[in-house]
Amino acid sequence: MGCSSSLPDRTSGRLGGLNSENGGAPDAKNLRVKLVLLGDSGVGKSCIVLRFVRGQFDPTSKVTVGASFLSQTIALQDSTTVKFEIWDTAGQERYAALAPLYYRGAAVAVVVYDITSPDSFTKAQYWVKELQKHGSPDIVMALVGNKADLQEKREVPVQDGIDYAEKNGMFFIETSAKTADNINQLFEEIAKRLPRPSPS
Amino acid sequence: MENADVFGSSTAPLTWHDFLERMRQPSATDFVKAIKSFIVSFSNNAPDPERDSAAVQEFLTNMETAFRAHSLWSGCSEEELESAGEGLEKYVMTKLFTRVFASLPDDVKIDDQLHEKMALIQQFIQPENLDIKPTFQNETSWLLAQKELQKINMYKAPRDKLVCILSCCKVINNLLFNASIASNENPPGADEFLPVLIYVTIKANPPQLHSNLLYIQRYRRQSRLVAEAAYFFTNMLSSESFILNIDANALSMDESEFEQNMESARTLLSGLSMDSDDMPSHSDQNVGKVSRTEPKEPKKQALNPKRPQGPAMRPQFSPELFEAESGNDQEPYAKDQSFLTKVPSISDLENRGATMLLKEDQASQVFQDFPYLFSKAGDLTVKDVEDLLNNYKQLVSKYVCLSQGLGVPTPLTLSISQSQSQHHTETMKESDDTRAVEVNIETHKDIERIDNDSNDISMFGVENPESKLPQDEAVASQGEGNDEAVASQGEGNAEISQR
Repeated sequence: MGCSSSLPDRTSGRLGGLNSENGGAPDAKNLRVKLVLLGDSGVGKSCIVLRFVRGQFDPTSKVTVGASFLSQTIALQDSTTVKFEIWDTAGQERYAALAPLYYRGAAVAVVVYDITSPDSFTKAQYWVKELQKHGSPDIVMALVGNKADLQEKREVPVQDGIDYAEKNGMFFIETSAKTADNINQLFEEIAKRLPRPSPS
Repeated sequence: MENADVFGSSTAPLTWHDFLERMRQPSATDFVKAIKSFIVSFSNNAPDPERDSAAVQEFLTNMETAFRAHSLWSGCSEEELESAGEGLEKYVMTKLFTRVFASLPDDVKIDDQLHEKMALIQQFIQPENLDIKPTFQNETSWLLAQKELQKINMYKAPRDKLVCILSCCKVINNLLFNASIASNENPPGADEFLPVLIYVTIKANPPQLHSNLLYIQRYRRQSRLVAEAAYFFTNMLSSESFILNIDANALSMDESEFEQNMESARTLLSGLSMDSDDMPSHSDQNVGKVSRTEPKEPKKQALNPKRPQGPAMRPQFSPELFEAESGNDQEPYAKDQSFLTKVPSISDLENRGATMLLKEDQASQVFQDFPYLFSKAGDLTVKDVEDLLNNYKQLVSKYVCLSQGLGVPTPLTLSISQSQSQHHTETMKESDDTRAVEVNIETHKDIERIDNDSNDISMFGVENPESKLPQDEAVASQGEGNDEAVASQGEGNAEISQR
């Protein structure tokens, strides 16, 4: 079962109910956030999410059906909670034109590449430009170099990622879905960067 | 856990009866008046989707706010209020359906375009064309997902239509997930899911898909089209968009190869349809084909006995058939039409397939995949029975689905079982079987949905619920579905007039 039935899930279930009660209206303490994942196929988008949502992946668990849509709530230190609704997108070239349907209305875009694949880094830059052109103007963007456990096969230097992210005002992090390195940090950092609805 | 709750709030128990019951209370008089006058207000205007959608959304929102403040719901839980909102949406939209569904010629045109395009592409598309990895390919089981999607036109309420899409997605997700476990692959994400959804959509080719999607988008209450439901609905929109734009490039084909495939698909379809021009037209689909098929019956019966004789089948196909097929290039329609067009049927397709097999001289190779085809009764052991039975069930399921898909009635006999069982028991078996599979993968577990027939019942007609029960027993007997199925019988006379 891994972590999929652990406490956070239960609380977030209730949270979902609360939010739907007021029609999803923003609530300063309990944010509900649409997050879209973009990146080439095979860079591990869905593995990152599964890691985040379930902690340990247990292949014998049948609880979660696929990872194309998952939601997970995290609690921040200032006692607010953020419920991420995570929308995965198909990364194959032939589906690229469909992405706007998915990132429309997203508060967060996580652009993922594979540090062992320069092509996927190029593709990531394409998505960043695309989002700058067509995404909502206040979208929070993160650039993620995944498969950081494969150091010996690295082809995209860390500095390239850092530089590109900085130039484009993005948050940057390298992760490993395999070892769970930096996975929680990624989502916590995103949560901190979210614009808060001003308390009225 | 939240991620297992696939449909979220959209599956709040639909207490349809409860809604109607409350509306019959004297204190609901004002609500009833408001609802009726809202519905009537629609009949005075020409359809204008944008205005209509805004009006419906606003009306639903206002009414739900009013429900919340009213004594009828005092002390009620959020869920009960949610159900009331669902009930209202369903009531209003069932009444307005004929006015607002596919009401613009432009939408109808896209429906036809899309339907025709899928009819052509489904003839030649392969999972590889969409980047579906071999480990995730499972065409037989995808039929179950297709079936869910094909139910979309059985319902009028936006929620019920949406549930068809969600069920289809859920079946796909289950299959992908099981395949990923079996092959030790990473759990499936959108890279795996979207291509299969597109493939399934093309194969299912539900009529009026475009109009259905617009209808859900416009008339499903916005606050309920969120989270997971919104995600999978977006995937459906995205499938539609992909399909409308399919060209050689989108399928990784050469321009010429694509054109050639489209052309032969056209030829095939025009050969199968008497009036190829309006072939994709939706409204006449069922009525037309059924009646066209009737005179076919004797012929089909005549063909049946000589079907599945294994190696002996070759010589039994008449040379005339063979010629009609191979002469295709020079005289594309003449012979085909005299033989086929009048009555499109499974056996026509079958004959085509058979001649193709003969022509390509692959028959024996193909049949090697079916180990029992050349067996004699004496060769079989008791152990084989289970295997055979499974094969049989799959075969019947596929065959019946194909028949349904073609819009022709299931032929009276499937010849392999001719000697032992009758049509009726066969179809029953089939439905039991597929149902068992569906239940297995939990398709129906949390879909409390009205029964299939309910929307066909005239809203104003007087249906006696009891009289329909035996017929619906199969559906009603699905555990949780029970109440809902029975409840839905009341939909026929679901007038909210007060006593």
